[in-house]
Amino acid sequence: MSAIPGNSRTGRLPGFEETDNTVDVPGQRASLVLHMDKFHQVTRQVCQVAESKRPPFAWYAAFVVSLSLVGLLGVCVNYLIFTGVGVWGLNNPVMWAFDITNFVFWVGIGHAGTLISAILFLFRQKWRTGINRFAEAMTIFAVICAGLFPGIHVGRVWLAYWLFPIPNQMEMWPQFRSPLLWDVFAVSTYFTVSLLFWYVGLIPDLATLRDRAKGTIQQFAYGLFSLGWRGSNRHWHRYERAYLLLAALSTPLVLSVHSVVSFDFAVSQLPGWHTTIFPPYFVAGAIFSGFAMVVTLAVPARQMFGLKDMITLRHLDNMNKIILVTGCMVGYAYSMEFFIAWYSGALYEKFAFLNRAFGQYWWAYWIMVSCNVITPQLFWFKRIRTSIPLMFALSLVVNIGMWFERFVIIVSSLANDFLPTSWDFFTPTWVDMGTMMGAFGLFGTLFLLFCRYLPMIAVAEVKATMPQADPHWEGWQHHGAGHGHAALASPETPHTPDAP
Amino acid sequence: MAHALSANAIPAAAISGERLAPRSRVLTIAGIVLLVAGFAMVRTDPGFAAKAWLQAWLFAVSLSLGALFFVIIQHLTRAGWSVVVRRVAECIAANLLWLWLGFLPIAWLWFDGRLDTLFPWANLDHLREVAPEEAALVGKKVAFLNPGFFMIRAASYLLVWALLARFFLSNSVAQDSDRSVARSEKMGKWAGPAAILFGLTTTFASFDWIMSLNPAWFSTMFGVYFFAACCAGGFSAIALMSLRAQSRGLLKDVVTPEHYQDLGKMLFGFGIVFWAYIAFSQYMLIWYGNVPEETTWFMARQIGQWRIVSAALLFGHFVIPFLFLISRWTKRWRGTLTFGVAWMLVFHWVDLAYLIQPVIPHDIGKYDTYDALLAAYANEAAPVLNPGLIALSAGMLFLLVGRTLARLVRTGLLCKGDPRLAESLRFENF
Repeated sequence: MSAIPGNSRTGRLPGFEETDNTVDVPGQRASLVLHMDKFHQVTRQVCQVAESKRPPFAWYAAFVVSLSLVGLLGVCVNYLIFTGVGVWGLNNPVMWAFDITNFVFWVGIGHAGTLISAILFLFRQKWRTGINRFAEAMTIFAVICAGLFPGIHVGRVWLAYWLFPIPNQMEMWPQFRSPLLWDVFAVSTYFTVSLLFWYVGLIPDLATLRDRAKGTIQQFAYGLFSLGWRGSNRHWHRYERAYLLLAALSTPLVLSVHSVVSFDFAVSQLPGWHTTIFPPYFVAGAIFSGFAMVVTLAVPARQMFGLKDMITLRHLDNMNKIILVTGCMVGYAYSMEFFIAWYSGALYEKFAFLNRAFGQYWWAYWIMVSCNVITPQLFWFKRIRTSIPLMFALSLVVNIGMWFERFVIIVSSLANDFLPTSWDFFTPTWVDMGTMMGAFGLFGTLFLLFCRYLPMIAVAEVKATMPQADPHWEGWQHHGAGHGHAALASPETPHTPDAP
Repeated sequence: MAHALSANAIPAAAISGERLAPRSRVLTIAGIVLLVAGFAMVRTDPGFAAKAWLQAWLFAVSLSLGALFFVIIQHLTRAGWSVVVRRVAECIAANLLWLWLGFLPIAWLWFDGRLDTLFPWANLDHLREVAPEEAALVGKKVAFLNPGFFMIRAASYLLVWALLARFFLSNSVAQDSDRSVARSEKMGKWAGPAAILFGLTTTFASFDWIMSLNPAWFSTMFGVYFFAACCAGGFSAIALMSLRAQSRGLLKDVVTPEHYQDLGKMLFGFGIVFWAYIAFSQYMLIWYGNVPEETTWFMARQIGQWRIVSAALLFGHFVIPFLFLISRWTKRWRGTLTFGVAWMLVFHWVDLAYLIQPVIPHDIGKYDTYDALLAAYANEAAPVLNPGLIALSAGMLFLLVGRTLARLVRTGLLCKGDPRLAESLRFENF
């Protein structure tokens, strides 16, 4: 099978040129790595980010902003802990608002990583190798941000450990029948497995960084975490078994985490929350927002660190297609909810949905619909899917829309419940806003540190998608390197992940 | 599979359907005979006859819909591995070109003013007499649940499915001779809109033909459940027909254990695990919320013999096939895969019985406790093993297979002009 070479396409600005490898020719598969025909070039391209003396100016600028927001987060959280949850804008019917909205938002963002590493792995989507490493990193940081919110929302933070079923002298146990407790298990399992998956994938690349490191600190740090990896045949064999098993473990987790989050709402009897489509609807929404965040981060990162030959236009095009598909699924869920609310004939169901669209939170609802269902339809056009500025803008729009989706679900259903005399309106305070922005700062800080010090792209896995990794590649004859096996026996042997 | 067959070296006899013609005729005739016998057996009870027919017909429809989804998704994802099994899927899906005939008995009920034999909402006055509370709820949805609109919708679903099946089959067959790459591009381009049309029509068809059998009951998940059920049936049918064709000496070295493993994975992922996920979520949320309007549907499936059917579905549609098909070798070895997919077809049929046959007792609200309800309906029969129902379903299945074979005789068994054929022949799971 011959690969389609990328067509050169000059950008309007110097430094912003793109190579178009998105053309599909049935019967051929496009190159996923551009302008490189030696494995060593991939290694160099990825490692130079961590090895350079200082990162680009844009990195410093972003880091300063993110770190300042972390400071704001610290202020807000401390103020909350020392004063009490009254500093938030919560009121009697609206007892969940920004806290849980942010929690669900961040858990959702954390979905793309596992989807890419586990489900796209099962579907043999080779393009996932260009983006899986930093999508997984994003997953871990997003789950950290998510975990923050239920922790501080309990009010008396020093008792947050009561969430866990720890034996104690008072015989006090959490309510095992509550989905809030299932959430504790679902999210912590997800975090643990994602972290393990990410770390196992990192080991060969950490060893590469260790071998290339010049400074003692780098040698020690990368050496410590690469666990004595030497790239021997046996190492690769065990590594691939571990990778396969972790992929198998992660696959159900992609569905389970957000399903359990949706149970927090759907097991109740509150109109707008109690609806059976919630689990798959939340999962689709999570993948939708997760991919949007990957695009939001990938676009500047590949530009800043010169990774355009590995995170190519085709990778971005594919991600935009997934955004389109999941956006349509989310649209399907919105319409089913609305239709069934009418079809049920139940007064309260009907009210809950009309109230969402035309009640006091109508603006939030229409922001949600336009950002999540209407604008993503632009991705039907290839010209838009492959335009860097437009996809960046649309990915931001999706992020905004998905934040509002959780806000609409949580707040609009609570604010106007069964008893009209208790209705109220939620207005966020500066602490609400500060905590929300601070979480973005925390996420940004962790992500920027990751970009600076760890290999952003799975070096070994990307090499395996290059045509040169195939021992039967026709090019080997021309290279005169025997049958190619000699070249492959080098320390930079690409590994070919098992498809289960 | 170091020595994959090259696309030019496939013997014509291996992909010609000629050999299937006699079997196709036998199955078609057997199907018609069984249908006639089945009707004769159920005719004394018009209510049950209508439901039995609905189940038998939807059994065939759901298998074709599953196959149609398979075809659409292969084009949508530009899949290479599946080319060698796609013609079988296209021909199963193409049954949607004649399956609309199966709706005619229901259309006749409508024409005769007896649509309420099947759908209680069609006769609101009667419903008001027997179940006034339910009728009050159903009365609010007459804008949707009324015979005229119901018929228009049914016609539109059947038309959309026939057009989609025809589009993908005719382009694929034309490609056999003209080998045009543009056809692959065209089918890939239209697969997106086709998926959306498929999703919407399948959802609303399941609302109309299954959910509205209990018109007061509702679940936003129901369309997704039916979609997962279609995958269970359709993917099993594709695998089973490929396996049977191969044991008759066709598709030799064309369809390999690699392709069977992938078909098995698709069935495992969509038809078994995703189905169970959806079924569990729907059940758990309704059970936990415990809202009477919603729980009645499940209660009707937990009284008398339906209790056994529900448990059988849990084990037969999920636990047992999950454990059986999780291994690599059971999906690759023809004997075990044949057993697995045949099993899934049976339980897909049981699933349809579970969805269609139970009747929610009108007096369900008068029992104070769950135990009292169970005691009162301890003898409720589940007509799953009714010979008339089985004859009708088997008749539809035979007819479906017979007509699929007849089409394969005309079109050949392989998309031999597909530009991704070489990739598919060479495909292996690492």
